[in-house]
Amino acid sequence: MVCLNKNEQGAELLTGYLAKTLDAEGLAELNRHIQDCEECRGLVTVWKKLDEFTAPEVTPGFDARLYTRLAAEGARRHWWRRLLWRPLAPLAAAGALVGLALFVQNPRTPDAPKQPSKAEIEQVAQALDDLDLLSFR
Amino acid sequence: MEAVVALEQDAQLMLRVGEGDDTSFALLLERHRGPVVHFLYRMVQNQAVSEELAQEVFLRVYRSRLKYEPTAKFTTWLFRIATHVALNSIRDAKKEKGHESLDEEMLDGLERQVADRQPTVEQQMVHEVKRREVRQAIEALPAKQRAAVLMHKYEGLDYAQIASVLDCSESALKSLLFRAYESLRGRLAHMV
Repeated sequence: MVCLNKNEQGAELLTGYLAKTLDAEGLAELNRHIQDCEECRGLVTVWKKLDEFTAPEVTPGFDARLYTRLAAEGARRHWWRRLLWRPLAPLAAAGALVGLALFVQNPRTPDAPKQPSKAEIEQVAQALDDLDLLSFR
Repeated sequence: MEAVVALEQDAQLMLRVGEGDDTSFALLLERHRGPVVHFLYRMVQNQAVSEELAQEVFLRVYRSRLKYEPTAKFTTWLFRIATHVALNSIRDAKKEKGHESLDEEMLDGLERQVADRQPTVEQQMVHEVKRREVRQAIEALPAKQRAAVLMHKYEGLDYAQIASVLDCSESALKSLLFRAYESLRGRLAHMV
């Protein structure tokens, strides 16, 4: 069954027909069917009918308008840059320097588990020994 | 093969735009201005609005110059932007119910044809009636089907490209196109 509306492959067949990618056998079969089937003939000829929908030429000032808008955007960006970035840049640099100085003076690794010092280990061992002595008495 | 060469040229041009070469942007604009405006015109069916939307498309292209990566064909990327802009505009227009009257568009078409001075007045009128019928049939399609038909019929994008623009599979796109053409067939059946 080649009828486009009654065929699971109807969409594939129609798009293949329009893209001229159907094989010779499939194309011949569809062309034969189209002679007798008004609906399928309508489906493949609607493509040609769409040629009537022409689009107007682009108006001559299109590029000029676009470049004006691009220039305006560029100017706006520069204006913001002057207003915001120039005063902010030295402040940001000063902040970064202060942060770096603080880090060098007092480096912290808050997420790393704190390792006990040798003195602390000895203190705990001594305390445990004392407890042992007390319990024997 | 030509398409591949065109892709490489467009992508290279866009990369050059990112490097500050405004001449490359002018070349891209020259090459794609017509197809983008025509696609948008057929989507929104109003010349002034279509050109305004096309300006937005090229502004977005220019704004994206620094982060552009040629992962898809340039035209696929470009029409993805154009489709997005068009669908948003159609959605907003539906909300505002601010469509321009058909009479103005009709006058617009007649003025263009008078400028041609080749066909007879009768031929012009027959053509204009057919044009209006096709235009109305396309306008009646759901926006996504409309975009698919326009890219397929008028802009020469292949199925893979259109599917990528509309973010669907190729088989889903073919079903979408089939439904669209079936709907157009019904609406234009009387047209010879």
